[in-house]
Amino acid sequence: MIKVLRTEWLKIKNYWAFWGVMIMTSLAYPGINYMFWYEYHNIVKKESATGKIAKMLLGNPFVFPETFHTTAFFSSIFVFIPAIVVIMLITNEYTYKTNRQNIIDGWSRQQFLAGKFMNVLLITLLVTLLYAIIAFVIGFVASPQPLVKDAFSEVKYIGLFALQSFSQLSIAFFIGFLIRRSFIALSVFVFYFIILENFAVAILKVKANDIGKYLPLEISDRLIPIPRFIGRLDEKQYAQWLSEINTHVWYTIILTAAIWGLCYYINKKRDL
Amino acid sequence: MAVLQINQAEKSYGKVKALKGVSFEVPEGSVFGILGPNGSGKTTLLSIVLDVLSADKGDFTWFGQPGSPENRKRIGSLLETPNFYHYMSAVNNLQITRSISERGSREDIDEVLKRVSLFERRNSRFSTFSLGMKQRLAIAAALLGRPRVLVLDEPTNGLDPVGILEIRQLIQQLHKEGFTIIMASHLLDEVEKVCTHVAILKLGEVITSGAVDDVLIDEDIIEIASSTPEQLKAIIQGMPGLTQLKEDGNILNLYFKKGEASPEQINKYCFDNGIILEHLKIRKKRLEAKFFELTGN
Repeated sequence: MIKVLRTEWLKIKNYWAFWGVMIMTSLAYPGINYMFWYEYHNIVKKESATGKIAKMLLGNPFVFPETFHTTAFFSSIFVFIPAIVVIMLITNEYTYKTNRQNIIDGWSRQQFLAGKFMNVLLITLLVTLLYAIIAFVIGFVASPQPLVKDAFSEVKYIGLFALQSFSQLSIAFFIGFLIRRSFIALSVFVFYFIILENFAVAILKVKANDIGKYLPLEISDRLIPIPRFIGRLDEKQYAQWLSEINTHVWYTIILTAAIWGLCYYINKKRDL
Repeated sequence: MAVLQINQAEKSYGKVKALKGVSFEVPEGSVFGILGPNGSGKTTLLSIVLDVLSADKGDFTWFGQPGSPENRKRIGSLLETPNFYHYMSAVNNLQITRSISERGSREDIDEVLKRVSLFERRNSRFSTFSLGMKQRLAIAAALLGRPRVLVLDEPTNGLDPVGILEIRQLIQQLHKEGFTIIMASHLLDEVEKVCTHVAILKLGEVITSGAVDDVLIDEDIIEIASSTPEQLKAIIQGMPGLTQLKEDGNILNLYFKKGEASPEQINKYCFDNGIILEHLKIRKKRLEAKFFELTGN
């Protein structure tokens, strides 16, 4: 497996689009968190009654331990950026027919898929590391010293963020794997990610007892519910979302395992 | 031991039967040509033995073993088109070939690039290469680490006349060094010049296979000529064993059953009948003629 990983690294390290997208991700994740942090400060620093009320209602979503949840939620909005590179890395293989060449040169089909699995895992680790750094940096800057006793009690969101990113990047991979053509696969993913599923979830919430929570992206979206300061607008709903996280961990694991299982089966049967 | 043995391979694409029970074996050390018109199943057959396609029926063995990734690592292959990462240089692409196949060293990459005259462009991106250069890089990848078996599907595709000559010489050189080369082509002249063995495919079936001389020669042909062609023609028609006589200008082509023609006897027969030959030559049937005869084109 180390050899497979090393070969995938040879493919990635010379691929300018990979580094371009990673730079975009490195700007987008801290960018959106800084934007909300900056806005929060602008609101609460006001000496007026509005500022005081806002501070009382919002609390401080960027101090420990809440920073883990808040930054995870904002960062996860931009998972479609690393998804672009995941789709490009698999569709490139079909465009250049290098998937065939890899097999001809001596890989098994399973090794080829294992390489792609490791790509998705590697990108998940990179974006999770980026998010964790942002969470800790914002937490240490925003939190009063000394830190509160339970400062790291919400550190579980790092794991939840990793699982959510891996699941959603796996869905992106699956679309690229099935469609094979980069432009169409990217269009399908972005349309589904940004428009279709959000629309379906909203409609189903009202019309069909919220069964939209079982849609592929929504299953893992619910691993990181809206941050606490927004949740205060509807405490009952927020409490329910928090209580469902553990269930959605299992749903996400099952869905992601099913996706890779299906990829394995198709890859084994399909002519190259 | 046969390097490659194919037994009753069948493959369909929907209703189209691309291979209909193909069987043959490739002897070690041979240059084995797989000949056939477009759509005869050459690339499908090579794709099956390289595990890119799955056969519907039948099986094959490499070195006496069922096909496997470990076997493929011992085979340098060029299938259909040069397949490389467009954004990477020639060297980096060969690094990937090396990493997967576990053949060759870093120095070997430079050596194969020199051998196909691409060393000067080793750091250029693949996307900037001409069709001929891409083909050369694919041949370099196949040669990396000196695998004892090469599978080359239309190796001279896109090459200029100099490139074609170089590849032909390379194949002949590798043959002398003991390599086994399996080469699919529709270029009859190419196959005739370099192959020791041949299998001819038509519409997914093997029409004939074996050593080139065995496949080509099913009758002996002798060319003769003299300064008195009319008299020669009249006399030679009485020659015992002659099955057919064809005129080609001043030259007469005499056809005999395989192994029955004797230039010495023909010369003597003519001399005894008062004719002095000024031209006497044993002629092989050209592969082109044989191919058209067999494929019915």
